[in-house]
Amino acid sequence: MNLNRPVIRLLILKDWQLFEKQLAAYVLAGLGALTLLGLARPWAFYLGSLALIVVVVAAACFAISNSLLVERKEQTLAFVMSLPVSPLDFTISKLLGNLLTFGVPFCVLLLGTLVVILSTPLPDGLVILATLLFGHILLAYSVSLAVAMQVESEGWNTFAMIGSMVLVNPFLMALGQIESIQGPIRQDAIAWSLPAALILGAQLLVSVVVLVHTAWWHGRKAAFY
Amino acid sequence: MTAAFAVSGLCKRYPEFALQDVDLSLPEGQVMGLVGVNGAGKTTLLRLLTGLAAPDAGSIEVLGHRLPEAQVAAKRDIGFASEDMRLYRGRSLDWHIELVRRIYPAWDHAYASELIRRFDLRPAQPLGGYSHGQRVKALLLLCLSRRPRLLLLDEPTTGLDPVARAEVLETLADVLRDEGRSVLFSSHNTHDVERLADSIAFLHQGRLVAHADKERFLDNWRRVLCLGGGAAEVSGWPELAQVRAAGSQVEIKVRAWSEDLPQRLSAAGLSVQRVDPMALEDIFVTAVRTGGAA
Amino acid sequence: MPGVSPDAVPADRIHALDHLRALAMLAGVLFHAALAYSPLLAPVWPPADRQTWWGVDALIWLPHLVRMPLFFLIAGYFTASLLERRGMGGLARQRARRILLPFLVAWPLVDGSLALATEWAASAVTQSSPMLRLIRDWLALPDPPGLPPRTGHLWFLYYLLLFGVVLWAVRALGWGGGLARLMARGPQAVAGLLPLVLWPGFMATGSPHPAPESLLPEAWALAVFGPFYALGLGLHGRLDWLTPLRPWLKPAAALCLGLYAVLLDHWTTDATVARTAWATALLEALIAAWGTLLALALGLRWLARPSPLLRYLSASAYWTYLVHLPLLFALQYPMMDLGWPWPLKFATAVSATTALCLLSYELLVRRTPLQRFVG
Repeated sequence: MNLNRPVIRLLILKDWQLFEKQLAAYVLAGLGALTLLGLARPWAFYLGSLALIVVVVAAACFAISNSLLVERKEQTLAFVMSLPVSPLDFTISKLLGNLLTFGVPFCVLLLGTLVVILSTPLPDGLVILATLLFGHILLAYSVSLAVAMQVESEGWNTFAMIGSMVLVNPFLMALGQIESIQGPIRQDAIAWSLPAALILGAQLLVSVVVLVHTAWWHGRKAAFY
Repeated sequence: MTAAFAVSGLCKRYPEFALQDVDLSLPEGQVMGLVGVNGAGKTTLLRLLTGLAAPDAGSIEVLGHRLPEAQVAAKRDIGFASEDMRLYRGRSLDWHIELVRRIYPAWDHAYASELIRRFDLRPAQPLGGYSHGQRVKALLLLCLSRRPRLLLLDEPTTGLDPVARAEVLETLADVLRDEGRSVLFSSHNTHDVERLADSIAFLHQGRLVAHADKERFLDNWRRVLCLGGGAAEVSGWPELAQVRAAGSQVEIKVRAWSEDLPQRLSAAGLSVQRVDPMALEDIFVTAVRTGGAA
Repeated sequence: MPGVSPDAVPADRIHALDHLRALAMLAGVLFHAALAYSPLLAPVWPPADRQTWWGVDALIWLPHLVRMPLFFLIAGYFTASLLERRGMGGLARQRARRILLPFLVAWPLVDGSLALATEWAASAVTQSSPMLRLIRDWLALPDPPGLPPRTGHLWFLYYLLLFGVVLWAVRALGWGGGLARLMARGPQAVAGLLPLVLWPGFMATGSPHPAPESLLPEAWALAVFGPFYALGLGLHGRLDWLTPLRPWLKPAAALCLGLYAVLLDHWTTDATVARTAWATALLEALIAAWGTLLALALGLRWLARPSPLLRYLSASAYWTYLVHLPLLFALQYPMMDLGWPWPLKFATAVSATTALCLLSYELLVRRTPLQRFVG
């Protein structure tokens, strides 16, 4: 595999610069949400956790939309492709750039959430639910990213993003039906049941497989069109 | 002489369109105009030449690189601008220059500054505020200042007002004086092609229907005015693209002129009144209307 | 304390700020050492001695209200200087090397050594403080519940990182001009506005304010220290901005002392309440705002000449900051059982801690690769 690293770096930097303003807004909003959680009052907790989910989901969707869909729609993609990059270089830059712009706030907010649960009177068992929730967002993001790289139709992309993210609600309801997950959530100890561990494992595995498959699919293409 | 590009047996199929069996090459230092109606295959050919698209059959070699495999190396020496290519609206020309400059070591800063002046562009302004003509000029600036060996331009003057068009053409004419640089540009505007190109390639419905030096290409075509009643008899001759009769007057457009044609027309009952050379525009329209054979 | 690495020292270095930082760091060692003899903190400070003196509280809290804001102000100033010279990317790399990495490495070490010393003290010290007794009871539980992770005294680094992120976001959003417009209103306006900005922050926390050690950003700390960091950013390149305040220095000093006397009175009648009454918070806000500006103005006036001693202390301040608290605890715990008069214990703790900090700086940091990170 012969990667054009300097140009990949430049393309990531370019996407970062194009996304920086929005990312800054999300990071500020995320910090605000974490600060609300830090107030340790019930109303602030509900508001803060809601804001946190909104920020993570919005950041995920906008990262994909900005770096892939807008570039395609506004025909700046042709400009990028005319630079000395191969389809693999381009794919790698998009994957890495997205993992950076989404991954960094995602990790910060995941850690923040875990800290909230562990440092407040909330039952520590909630860590399981929170991890599965973030696992779902990661999975939804990976799927949306893969669809955005694979499918040109804006409609399908919007459907993939909104559909997969909105599924978080039925997902949480479904988790509520599984007693071996629901039980430990209310306890003050973190006990991973087999179903919970399997679901998290599946989320991570599918995310990785989807992203690796996308990279492989584009990497083996000789040309963009 | 080495070829700036050479394609042979080139085929590319899309659901609604196919580029078929194209053989074409451009010697280094030459300018080729690519003519054809919308959907003739000009953009497809240019995409194949930049390595953006992979051919279904045939081979492509650009500046000694086989495409699309060696597209990264080839694109270092290619300046490609197409009509459907846009720059980032929220960013300034300076930002774009910085991006492109860091990719191309041969970036000519002085030339870029000169083009900014000549095109009267405001480099710090976000491109969202540029007119269409200014955006085209900005794109050309980004292509030209990297000093590419091969310039591929897809409809560079489309949609420009007359002043902007003149500026762009003047700049291109300057670029073309550099004998080391090869250019392939497509255009609807046959005047531009006629003015700039050394050779002309004519694409129609995915096929290359003609390719020759500009002089030879133009020299092949004539408009012949005749009097007489033999129009029906000659209309099947392969060297005649179009025969139209209005009363006793007959207008003939010839696609393969030969010195003995007036004699043969006389023998068929048509007395030749005058013979005129044809402008590329007229040739183009005639060829398209009569099914593309040029 | 971290501000700027020596490899980034500009030619026109502002000595006064270095010297102020050195003095503020020394004040920090004195402050933490004195807490053991503060009646106000006796119930909550683990190495609290059985001997306390009201005069300790009277002496330590005024500099403390000014010390941390001053650190943030100086950090803001140096951040702006780095930003100007290296851009946001360079600043981010420097912050990662000089703050994030030392924080991540020092945090478990400092936390672990403090916990170790405290666990030892809980079992070995006979003249226990209330807090040590509580810890002993807690450790005696069959299955003591774990405590959430806290940043300890390294919270300053954590907030510097947070403010760095906020600075990037504010600039990326194009809101940076607001600070320049505010500074353009002049120091009198800023000095008038600053206490009002700090007031809600002080109201939202206890009094005297605790250290914001939670890993979640604490709103009050952002509200109290953020404005000073911003002021430091705004002051970069125009320290003469403070000149119009010169006629006000003496009245301000007198006023601060007067306000502090009232604050002490508030504390003695309403000690360490969970939520601060509005009047107490206003007093703290006024003292922190004006006291910090005063300290800065005095520093620029009297500490501007190069001083090798203060320069050395300033260079070692970051290292001292990292290691002084575990050293202090390790020294003060065994002294709790000694029958020495408290001033002798205090003097021993301060001098031994300072000596150990400087010695370890000299041996481990000054001429070693660590210099790049915490020198």
